[in-house]
Amino acid sequence: MATAETSLLSPKLLAQLEKLELVSRKIFRGRMKGERRSKRKGQSVEFADFRSYVPGDDLRFIDWNTYARLDRLFLKLFLEEEDLHFYALIDASSSMGFGTPTKLEYARQLAGALSFIGLIRGDRVRIETLGQSPRTPGPVLRGRRSMWRMMEYLSGLQPGESISLAQGAKNFFARNSGKGILLLISDLMDKTGYETALRYLVSQQMDVYIVQVLSTEEIDPDIQGDLKLIDCEDADIAEITASAPLIARYKRTLNAFIDDARIFCTRRGMNYLLARNDVPVEQLVSGYLRQRGMVK
Amino acid sequence: MDFISSLAIWQWLIVLAVPPAVVALYFLKLRRQPLEVPSTYLWKKSIEDLHVNSLWQRIRQNLLLYLQLLVLGLIILALFRPGWRSQNLKNKRHIFLLDHSASMNASDVAPSRLLEAKRQALAMIDAMGSGDSGMVVSFSDIARVEQGFTENKRDLHRAVANIKASNRPTALDEALRTVVGMSKSGREPGNLAGRVGSSADEDQKPEAPPTTLYILSDGKFPPVQGLSLRTLEPKFIPIGHSNAINLSIVAFGVRRNEQHEGRWQAFGSVQNFGEEAVTTHVELSHNGNKIDASQVTVQPGDTAGVAFDLTEGESGILEMQITHDDVLHEDNRAWVAVNSSRKPKVLLVTDGNEALEMALATSRARELAETTTAKPEVLNTKEHQQAASSGSYDLIIFDRCRPIRSPRANTVYIGALPPSPLDEATEITANAKSLNDSEKSARGADTPIPERWWSFGPRLENPQVIDLNRSHPLMQWLDMGDVELIEGRLVLVPPGGTTLLESTQGPILAIAPRAGFEDVVMGFEINGVNQDGNRSVNTNWPIRSSFPSFIFAALSYLGGNNGAAAGASVKPGQPLMLKSELPVDQLEVHTPQGARLTAHRGKAGSFQFSSTEALGPYEIYEGSKVIERFTVNLFDPLESSIRPAKDGSIQIGIETVQGTVGYEPVRRETWKWLLLAGLVVLLLEWYIYHRRVYV
Repeated sequence: MATAETSLLSPKLLAQLEKLELVSRKIFRGRMKGERRSKRKGQSVEFADFRSYVPGDDLRFIDWNTYARLDRLFLKLFLEEEDLHFYALIDASSSMGFGTPTKLEYARQLAGALSFIGLIRGDRVRIETLGQSPRTPGPVLRGRRSMWRMMEYLSGLQPGESISLAQGAKNFFARNSGKGILLLISDLMDKTGYETALRYLVSQQMDVYIVQVLSTEEIDPDIQGDLKLIDCEDADIAEITASAPLIARYKRTLNAFIDDARIFCTRRGMNYLLARNDVPVEQLVSGYLRQRGMVK
Repeated sequence: MDFISSLAIWQWLIVLAVPPAVVALYFLKLRRQPLEVPSTYLWKKSIEDLHVNSLWQRIRQNLLLYLQLLVLGLIILALFRPGWRSQNLKNKRHIFLLDHSASMNASDVAPSRLLEAKRQALAMIDAMGSGDSGMVVSFSDIARVEQGFTENKRDLHRAVANIKASNRPTALDEALRTVVGMSKSGREPGNLAGRVGSSADEDQKPEAPPTTLYILSDGKFPPVQGLSLRTLEPKFIPIGHSNAINLSIVAFGVRRNEQHEGRWQAFGSVQNFGEEAVTTHVELSHNGNKIDASQVTVQPGDTAGVAFDLTEGESGILEMQITHDDVLHEDNRAWVAVNSSRKPKVLLVTDGNEALEMALATSRARELAETTTAKPEVLNTKEHQQAASSGSYDLIIFDRCRPIRSPRANTVYIGALPPSPLDEATEITANAKSLNDSEKSARGADTPIPERWWSFGPRLENPQVIDLNRSHPLMQWLDMGDVELIEGRLVLVPPGGTTLLESTQGPILAIAPRAGFEDVVMGFEINGVNQDGNRSVNTNWPIRSSFPSFIFAALSYLGGNNGAAAGASVKPGQPLMLKSELPVDQLEVHTPQGARLTAHRGKAGSFQFSSTEALGPYEIYEGSKVIERFTVNLFDPLESSIRPAKDGSIQIGIETVQGTVGYEPVRRETWKWLLLAGLVVLLLEWYIYHRRVYV
């Protein structure tokens, strides 16, 4: 356990994460009361507002003092403390096994870090992979004590799943219908396209964060000569003569691909973030994600 | 297209194993290093962006292989030595002899025989191999080297193109002598000057390489006699169809009607050179206006005469035309010039010759010529010398006297000799300081002096007339059997002269040419002078009928009066002597095409005119006045008989040259071009291979 913890999240990172909490920009109903004040008005001790009574309202919330004074019925609204659903959806396809550290390893670290924040704040956390069997969903975690289970689960993730992004997203929503924050960590390198999958995510009214993880080998390939490139997922072959003009062209294509993904996400209200595997997770969480408002 | 294997079976097996080996090597070479990547998605996208479409990409990937296989294919094809039977010329040197005589204008071979001959010559020039040299010679009755030996086909093309149609007759002799001389002397272009024929050091020269002589002609010329072609291999290429037919005007003239005084008659002869009888219309025009027409039927190979009666009209041009449409149009028209009659001017220089003066005073003689008589002393006067040297007289009869210089006129010397050019030259040299160049020239200062001149042989006593030359116009109608002579001198005739009257001891009357004129020398006197100085009769000829006949013949022949006002008619290219009574230096001649040419007075006093290529009437102007007309007519049965040479062969010396095509089959091979194409493809492959690094 300790090995899993230290290999995934260093003590220094854990100390930083202790101070953070996940933020959702959307109102949603949790199943259990958590430690956060929800944007929903509900039952708590902290007053929020008055509202005119309409038939059908719970009579217990009528402010009788105001009725006595104004002879009109008002409901007294309180801020409701709710728990937050946090879903981490990890792409564990073969392509995620590349890089140093591997993209999957990086995804495990990132998902672990954010899940840890959720756990210590009492949020409901669920970590799954895209290729997760519908019959064996990922663990639902809550509370600091579940951290070890989370670490154990993450440590057990291996690249090699063979499923498209769209199918993975479909399966995910078949298993999970709750609202909350969804963090998708993937390289988005799906030959059938990532658009369908992301549309699924948007349709579920969740607060979606897309983290595209790319390795340095993908961003700045260091290859030369006549090569037969073999796709690790479908064994597709691309024969190239790796010349400087071709590399430059590849980089332009990659940049266009990243820009398209960013624009696609932004237009649909999703948060997009590009993560390089040579950028430490601490920097990503405390830096970029904080700026983006995913954590505070 | 056929192939010749240039390798043995086992060699072919090795060669044919090369392309598969290249394909194998190509794929080995293209065995790329495998590299596993997260996704080929972006790489493929990049390659797609790089190339327009995937098809081209696939082609480009294998383009080098294709090009290499193409190179090998071309090399293997070259080893098969593909080629085809083509027509090429045999030897390395070729002489193209093109006939451009009148008969070559026939259109039985469209557009004309000459153009067909030129086309064939150009084709043969194109078929010349590299290193072959050719020469182009055009010929009619004269030969002209259009282009000496050269390897430059463009020059040969230009030379052939420059050959123009002519109306001249044909004679192959001169052309053959020219080409034989040039080929054996091995003369090359740029060194065409010089005398054709053998030279002193010819025997030391190496034998000229074999040369093919292509004679492109219809073969309508007389057989060539006494000529050896040496190293020339003649090939006669007949041009024209053997069934070509032609109707031709072979004669056309005008003369007084002997039956009706004051009337004239135009007569012509139409000959049929075809194999069927032809009926044709014959039209007569005077100065372009049709005045009469007739119809004539001509049997095959026969000649039919046609005559038109004319009232004596004005001078001008009579034209006869046949309307029959045949393949040679040049001989379907003929012209005759009717000049305003001019009596020849005759001068008799004598100190008294009654018989001669009487003969010249008859009415017939007065009709023939305008005669004046002068004493021998007149020969020393300047007036006479000027008149004689300016050609004022047509005929001068010197009776027992002679001038200092020969006059510019025909002459008859009775008992005297013409002045020798040597004497004239000596006399001119003596006076050279007082003469300018033009006078020297006019007096014949640079006249070539013949090796032999007129001279008298020994004195003859009672020479008997035994023979006379009846073929000559002067003696045509004479009977001299009853003529007796007391004494005479043997006449030694210069080269080119003709004996007219022969005695038992030799010639006593002769005629010889002299620079455009003719001199008649009579070795006997009519009236002699005896030892006492008194006149005596030397012959009974004046009382014989042959004497006036001789005088009339002399007036007609030497005076230039043919009894009619018809102008001269010459054949195309034939030179003509023009005369003028006025002391002018040049005459203007208008050709049928309207060109204005100038005839300059020659050394002999007459005007030499040789630009008579065009058929039709010519007009001679003195200032703005037409003084005379003459015509140029084909009138050549050999040219009008346009059927190609019999049996398609020609006779050159003892050799009979059969008609043949000018080519001999030769195999043309293309392996050089295939190898060159292979080299080009190889360069292209190299370029593409290196370009791939940057694309």
